[in-house]
Amino acid sequence: MIENYLIHLLILVGIYSILVISLNLAMGFTGLLNIGHVAFYGIGAYTSALLTLNLHFPFWIAIIISGIIASLFGLILAAPTLKLKGDYLALATLGFAIIIESIFKNWTSLTRGPLGIPGIPHPSLFGFEFSSLFSYLILVIIFVLITYFVIERLVKAPFGNILKAVREDEMVTKTLGKNTFKYKTLALVISAFFAGIAGSLYAHYITFIDPSSFSVLESILIVSMLIVGGTASNKGAILGALILILLPEPLRFLSLPSSMIGALRQMIYAVLLILLIIKRPQGILGEFRENVA
Amino acid sequence: MAIITQLLVNGLIAGSIYALIATGFSLIYNVKKLFHIAHGGIYALSAFLAYTFIVLFKLNFILSFILTLIIATLLGVLIDLLIYKPLRKQKHNELPLLLASFGTFIFLESFILLIFGADVKTFNFHITKGYEFLGAIITKTQIIILIVAVISFILLQLFLKKTTLGKALRAVSDNKEIASTLGINTEKITMITFAIGSALAAVAGILIGIEQNLEPSMGFMAILKGFTAAIIGGLGNIQASVLGGFFLGIIENLGIWFLPSGYKDAIAFVILILFLLYRPYGLFGMKTREEIAG
Repeated sequence: MIENYLIHLLILVGIYSILVISLNLAMGFTGLLNIGHVAFYGIGAYTSALLTLNLHFPFWIAIIISGIIASLFGLILAAPTLKLKGDYLALATLGFAIIIESIFKNWTSLTRGPLGIPGIPHPSLFGFEFSSLFSYLILVIIFVLITYFVIERLVKAPFGNILKAVREDEMVTKTLGKNTFKYKTLALVISAFFAGIAGSLYAHYITFIDPSSFSVLESILIVSMLIVGGTASNKGAILGALILILLPEPLRFLSLPSSMIGALRQMIYAVLLILLIIKRPQGILGEFRENVA
Repeated sequence: MAIITQLLVNGLIAGSIYALIATGFSLIYNVKKLFHIAHGGIYALSAFLAYTFIVLFKLNFILSFILTLIIATLLGVLIDLLIYKPLRKQKHNELPLLLASFGTFIFLESFILLIFGADVKTFNFHITKGYEFLGAIITKTQIIILIVAVISFILLQLFLKKTTLGKALRAVSDNKEIASTLGINTEKITMITFAIGSALAAVAGILIGIEQNLEPSMGFMAILKGFTAAIIGGLGNIQASVLGGFFLGIIENLGIWFLPSGYKDAIAFVILILFLLYRPYGLFGMKTREEIAG
């Protein structure tokens, strides 16, 4: 029983790791303050659920299409907003996430609105169904590894150096003849792709999705994981997801009503986030930047 | 016709609340160049404080109003001193400040949830029959909301334009360095700004309490609407934030003529994104485009 619960938590850590690593590409490495990352996650989850349920697509194709649709939305978001600076970009991405969330809630003929979509099938491969917790954990780990190595490869490549240059000083990068807008767009599109994948993995794991899983506050949680682990570090991203998922778990052993536990958990997140931002702005494993500390 | 006037009245009432939040937000933004998301938490907490005083402690309305105002003011100043002030010393503090503000907001929201629980609360005021006005119904509580909001805006204007402190505050908004060379104590002005801004949020919180049910999560949408209103009006201009608030309230309510009412919130953010893109300095703002988009 307790092992099952532990595996369940690890699966969640894995899914969030994919989200945080993908956000890291846009936010940690490129410096785009995207606080609407959850929108791509939700789009991925809904796309995958609808494709497998309504059109009977196999999971393996649905998950790829989820990533592609999410990255298309990344492109739609990037085109107008990436010219905005810092805080203003943050607000625009926040607005984007809220618009997407309200579409999930209100386009009831497609998404069933607040009722959510039940009965999303587990993935299967050559007759083997990933319905046991352990098999799903293996599946998630494989996707985490793929995400980790792809993003790690990207940021170590010259491409990643340009992204970091954009983060440090966009003007100078432009002067050096780089089309910074193109690089920022690419960073956001790739970031959205993996968030869509994470959404699909979530939908086929929980087998039920509704708009409440993709609220803006969920987005703040993802950003917090990145900040706690340390921006511009993919290991930090995984650590951040691990800490913020596991840390509030002991609260479950308190005999309190679940709404109170939820509230306490949020309060712990908030205090931890604020303390870390004040005391160690680069996060636990973050890249040390002299101008930050 | 009656429907249009009714939607306009609803828009005006929603607009007064948005405008109150937007002015406080804008005031703080002007002085500290900070997106004070936790402002929404102060608004929601004020509504629940007023509920505690009025319904649980059975105090009279005026006394509850004053007590709530005092606590909200202190809380606003405290948030600045404990959280924002240490962060201002860091060099690249845009993202850290924004996230810390979000963190503070989440803390306040969860605190309300922990203390009051998730079920909705009301002030239990008697619902009186509304007055008819050009075919629209306007209730007594709605008239109170409108009047108190307008009085707050007038008081704020008088403070900013006529008092020495108000003038100092505007000087710091315009140029902090020059203001401080002229001997203005910017730390003191910061405290006063947070105090007044938070008091405005508290007024909005109490007013919404007489009209609607209270939910712990009410602060989030409110602050999002508040800064949308501030941006529509033009960040950096207090009168413009007031107009932005009313504009947003009215547009949102007229919008449900064309769209299902569930999309009401989305309308605000479509407007926000459109403004950020095409008119980032707002309807009345004078900010140069370079400060927003590079």
